[in-house]
Amino acid sequence: MKTPTEEHDLLRWLDGEMSAAEKAAFESRLTADPALKAEAELMQRLSADLRTHLPAEMPVPYADFFNSQIQVRLAQDENQQLSAPAAEGWFGWLRKPWLTPAFAAAAIAMAALTMWQNGAPSEGTNSLVNSIYVPNSAVQARAFHSDEAQATVLMLDGLEEMPADRKIVGFNIGRSEVDEAVAATTLFGADGKAVAVMAKDARNQPLLLTSTTPRG
Amino acid sequence: MPASTAPDPGEVPDIDLVKRCQAGDTRAFDVLVSRYRGRIYAMTYHMIQNETEAWDLAQEAFIKAWRALPRFKMDSAFYTWLYRITHNVVYDWLRKKKIQGEGEFDDSRTEHRVAAGAEAVPRGDAAPDTALKNAELGARIQQAIAKLSPEHKQVILLREVEGMAYEEIAATVPCSLGTVMSRLFYARKKLQELLRDCYENTD
Repeated sequence: MKTPTEEHDLLRWLDGEMSAAEKAAFESRLTADPALKAEAELMQRLSADLRTHLPAEMPVPYADFFNSQIQVRLAQDENQQLSAPAAEGWFGWLRKPWLTPAFAAAAIAMAALTMWQNGAPSEGTNSLVNSIYVPNSAVQARAFHSDEAQATVLMLDGLEEMPADRKIVGFNIGRSEVDEAVAATTLFGADGKAVAVMAKDARNQPLLLTSTTPRG
Repeated sequence: MPASTAPDPGEVPDIDLVKRCQAGDTRAFDVLVSRYRGRIYAMTYHMIQNETEAWDLAQEAFIKAWRALPRFKMDSAFYTWLYRITHNVVYDWLRKKKIQGEGEFDDSRTEHRVAAGAEAVPRGDAAPDTALKNAELGARIQQAIAKLSPEHKQVILLREVEGMAYEEIAATVPCSLGTVMSRLFYARKKLQELLRDCYENTD
């Protein structure tokens, strides 16, 4: 076994960390010591192979999605910083003018996924997620929409593993009505029928009171 | 210094983008993400060797970087700073997952050292170099790297992939120069042992 000094000399020679004088002296030793020379050459080959097979740069899968998700997270950070404790909460944006059917919105609950969508559900285009509601604070929800793919992907991070047969339900929402008297909002499907009733909990957060069986 | 951090001619310099980020410009940060995502992802992938986890960790690194940018004094290259953040993200994840290889943390434990004469396969094994194609060697290297402890994996990647000098590795980990060298030597000997059959029949 080599001494630590000998090991370090070999390393420093291999990694180009020796001065010119040290390098010349070490290479003289290599010439005189075939075993050391063989080990040094093997380490050189290993280093070269590592550099060849472990690229410093790799293509990122779904690179555009990668970037967009970061932007979503940054926006979420900013929203959290801006929101005061007494913020109007989820119901506030339900009433916002920009929630008009010009765009779609989606809300996610553990057992219910609700989408506001412009036009018939089957058209499936121009869907845009404006806000996401997640009742479980341990779960982070993110959405990515691609006009090109005509698809919206909703991602739930932190969700406990679910059985494969667990149903994820969704609603296509055409409009909503707020009943101030009972502090509840009724969500109506594209066919005009009520599909869910939501209220606020003690922390001013959305609470799903009831819902009908969703379509697909 | 990690290799290839110089911007291409005509490219907005990192420092200008960083200043815009510090003023709250998320689009400038998007440019930095696009510029470095491939290298950050490669780092997380080599450490984790799981595409999905590496993707998530690379994202986490960029998000942590954004949050830390107001405190970035530009006293090092942006990529070096980002790399250190990524390293911490990955390392925290590894610790949480308790993914540890055979090498463990104690560099003074000489029983982990691989005897110079140790052989993984009998010398008589018929494994001609012609049978070991490039892709196969790559796969074997990935497998061997995966068997290293996080500490040994880390220093070998910082050295061989990022091309960092010993002092930079020591500052990134952080640890002493002696620890860097001990870990590097052990990691290389361990890799030699794990890949011995790839090399001994090609002499």
